[in-house]
Amino acid sequence: MSDENTPQEPPAPRPADAGAPGPQPGPTAPAMTGRQRLAAGLWPPRVTRAQLIVALLLFVLGLGLAIQVRSNSDSSALRGARQEDLVRILDELDGRTERLEDEKQRLEDQRKELENSSDQAEEARKQTVEKERQLGILAGTVAAEGPGITLTVSDPKHLVESDMLLDAIQELRAAGAEAIQVNGVRVVAGTYFSDEDGGVGVDGKKITQPYEFKVIGRPQDLEPALNIPGGVIQTLEKEQATAEVVRSTKIVVDALRAAKQPDYARSSSS
Amino acid sequence: MIAVLGLVVGVVVGLLVRPEVPAVVEPYLPIAVVAALDAVFGGLRAMLDGIFVDKVFVVSFLSNVVVAALIVFLGDKLGVGAQLSTGVVVVLGIRIFSNAAAIRRHVFRA
Repeated sequence: MSDENTPQEPPAPRPADAGAPGPQPGPTAPAMTGRQRLAAGLWPPRVTRAQLIVALLLFVLGLGLAIQVRSNSDSSALRGARQEDLVRILDELDGRTERLEDEKQRLEDQRKELENSSDQAEEARKQTVEKERQLGILAGTVAAEGPGITLTVSDPKHLVESDMLLDAIQELRAAGAEAIQVNGVRVVAGTYFSDEDGGVGVDGKKITQPYEFKVIGRPQDLEPALNIPGGVIQTLEKEQATAEVVRSTKIVVDALRAAKQPDYARSSSS
Repeated sequence: MIAVLGLVVGVVVGLLVRPEVPAVVEPYLPIAVVAALDAVFGGLRAMLDGIFVDKVFVVSFLSNVVVAALIVFLGDKLGVGAQLSTGVVVVLGIRIFSNAAAIRRHVFRA
């Protein structure tokens, strides 16, 4: 706001005018001094020097008013704020930013930690599942399939005894058999053979000839192991049994056995 | 009538053109506007009283604006700018109210 008009200073009779905010009651007023003057100033419009000067000043006023209203409404309260206030606000914002930054850092660390630990847990779980499958094959709790051989022993005269079958099992194990079942009975670490009338007992379950061994392992190792001179097959043939070995690329060992919790043995590793 | 037009044109121009106010003047603008409003109400009252003189109006308008800005400026320099501008606004507000009361008596006879 500054000077806009200077040199006019006429005697100015009384032209009577100014910015009336709202001339609603004015122009139609009956004969009253104040109202009459107002009406006279408003209508008819006369171009006098006084009118022009006042118009100029009011123009400046309106300009300032509009600018101020505008700047107040469009750019928050900061625009009119004083320097010390601004400095204080800036300080507060800085402090707040710092605190939020710290918090963000902390939360990110926490997140990283949690992600790591969940990754580790997931990895451990996967390894556990894998191990369980491997151990399950050994313990006979899950089915297994893979290349291997089928050994069929026919013993029409019932001369084959349990120790011969046990020998066969031992031979197969020595040759690298990984999963074995005999006539639907899974052979595991604790399997035992016993002689029964007219057959053989495997883990207390009686089976009769023909004995069919399903063996998963490397066929090239398993078959020769059975065929070695003086080995399993020759021994069986001495007892007038016939043994037949068939290689296969896919043997399914699907006889299962319930997992058994040991009563006395405990894991000694923690 | 022309004076009213001047006010309207000023508002419209201010809204449309959106002029940049120099940063130095900015803190004084609101106070200056209030001071000018006081001068305008005083002028209106004088007109209704039949004692309006345009020279007096011009001088009072400008001096009001300048003095108001000066007080705020001084307050800023002394570190009590906020309080002083509040004081100026209060005083000018009182004057505006008393002038408005006089105008009201003229216009509404009440």
